[in-house]
Amino acid sequence: MSVLTLRLAGPLQSWGSSARFTRRTTESAPTKSGVVGLLAAAAGIERGDDAALAALAGLRFGVRIDQPGSRVRDFQTAHHGDTGASMPLSERFYLADAVFVAAVAGETGLLTRLHAALRAPVYPPFLGRRSCPPAQPVELGIRDGASLHQALADEPWQAAAWYRRRHRGEATVSLTVLREADEKEADADYQRDQPLSFSAEQRRHALRTVVSRTVTVPNPDAALRQAVRPRHEPFDALEESV
Amino acid sequence: MNRFYLDVHALQTVPPSNLNRDDTGSPKSSVYGGVPRARVSSQAWKKATRDYFKSESLLDPSELGVRTKKVVEVLADRIHERDETIDEADALELAAEVIAATGLKIEVPKRKSSAKKSAAEGEGDEETQDALPQAKYLVFLSARQLDGLARFAVEGAADIAGFLKDKENKARVKQIADTRHSVDIALFGRMVADATDFNVDAAVQVAHAISVHRVDNESDYYTAVDDRNKDSEPGAGMIGTVDFNSATLYRYAALGVHQLAANLGEGLREEESEATPVRRAAEAFVQGFVESLPTGKINTFGHHTLPDAVVVKLRTTRPISFVAAFEEPVRGDLGGHMSEACARLAEYIPDVERAYGDEGSTLTWVLRVGPNTRKLAGIGTESRNIGELVASVGQAVAERLEKPE
Repeated sequence: MSVLTLRLAGPLQSWGSSARFTRRTTESAPTKSGVVGLLAAAAGIERGDDAALAALAGLRFGVRIDQPGSRVRDFQTAHHGDTGASMPLSERFYLADAVFVAAVAGETGLLTRLHAALRAPVYPPFLGRRSCPPAQPVELGIRDGASLHQALADEPWQAAAWYRRRHRGEATVSLTVLREADEKEADADYQRDQPLSFSAEQRRHALRTVVSRTVTVPNPDAALRQAVRPRHEPFDALEESV
Repeated sequence: MNRFYLDVHALQTVPPSNLNRDDTGSPKSSVYGGVPRARVSSQAWKKATRDYFKSESLLDPSELGVRTKKVVEVLADRIHERDETIDEADALELAAEVIAATGLKIEVPKRKSSAKKSAAEGEGDEETQDALPQAKYLVFLSARQLDGLARFAVEGAADIAGFLKDKENKARVKQIADTRHSVDIALFGRMVADATDFNVDAAVQVAHAISVHRVDNESDYYTAVDDRNKDSEPGAGMIGTVDFNSATLYRYAALGVHQLAANLGEGLREEESEATPVRRAAEAFVQGFVESLPTGKINTFGHHTLPDAVVVKLRTTRPISFVAAFEEPVRGDLGGHMSEACARLAEYIPDVERAYGDEGSTLTWVLRVGPNTRKLAGIGTESRNIGELVASVGQAVAERLEKPE
């Protein structure tokens, strides 16, 4: 078993799990269906090829929120191509300026193939919506033998430089990890983003478990500041005078 | 199939303008690098690109699609044109049968306002006009697809119901509707909600354009005089505000050339090389995306500009957006935003290509205007003008397509 980790960053992302019709919302973190879709697209799995999709959907999934971003509402109008009549207005929500680490755990051979596919994808990757290309290549690497949780805990902090600077007073930062539950974990919530089919006729999703955990990672930009901070030990002075 | 992508990157300055507004009338915005930015949505620029195809006749109109519910009428016209012995009423019936056979759901629309109208006018004529069947959704059928369907309908005109019962014909009509997609649809996709086997996944991915620098929207307060007011009625005839901003935008789009080739199917004309339609579509895409401009409030602001710098890449690995070069907002306190934006790109592109690209197989072209863009000079093959850029990209696409795997 191995874990493939991805860095999901870009000006805009949008991860809907219950969005239909004219109001297209986004979750605050990437969904399993979104990330599996990204991997399936890279591997060239066609819509409707549910058998090929099942292998990917069987991977265990988790995500770490490295930089939460903010919500942007997009208002969209459309007009009839011939008559110019207005079509229903729609609202789309995006996460702007966010950075996530997503991870999938499973059989090493499959992850190696997916890792290669991300570097030369059949269909280009996007962050939940076609109009949201990633800002940089998404794959980080494969961790052999690691657990899903450990891989997400070990990955260095991926937040942008400006965001890390804002937190330079903190030697470590604690980040939320949302991942599929282990068998023993009883405090799981459910989210309907376990993909069953991406076929154009009928997209289907099942429920999946989600547990929320916190991991603490070092802040690389804090180290310098800490080194120059003067040591403050008031009792030293007392000892000298004794 | 050789797998390759065409990336188009453009830096474009727009003066005070409101290209693409939200429901409050303000220009759309976003946040990136922790600061507010101007944003132009991907769909706004896609529409501008499609409109540009038409207005500039970048492609033969017969290769562009029309988006309409009235496919039955459109097809009936074609049938009638093709065979004038079929009168209009028969053509409509034929068209309805054929469209239904393709799997598209059609219905006779309910009349609302027109019911009142025809009642007022007391005419039965209106009614038949209104009762024409329509597709339930907006449908794109390329001119070529319509021609194919019209030919099919004429062939089976004698007994269309019987003709369509034949299994082979049934498969054929579906196939006509599903292949030979117009270039427009092959590039940008199609929206059909119920006949999903016609759906074409767009070969083009367009990102939202965002400013490379911090942008706060501004508000223009205006007054207008009523010329007919007398001296006893001083004051403005009307007052109001218009929101606007000005920005140097980073624009990015990627075209999966292999996907485009698959969407287009075989050569559109028999005598053509197989690569020809793909090449022409790729050329139209590059030119259309670079030169088009959303027209929101264009008569108020006259924001007609073109990109100062364009970088095009043809690559065998993944498409790469260079937007991260502008995550740290450009300050522009030394001579505007364009110069610094170009310097950023000139530094970022070689870096990201070294780390993730395949320098051996990647081709790069640059088109640039003015001294501010000088830093981009060494980044790729320089084109003197857009025509030269488009032609060399098209030629490279054709060569790659014809190269044996």
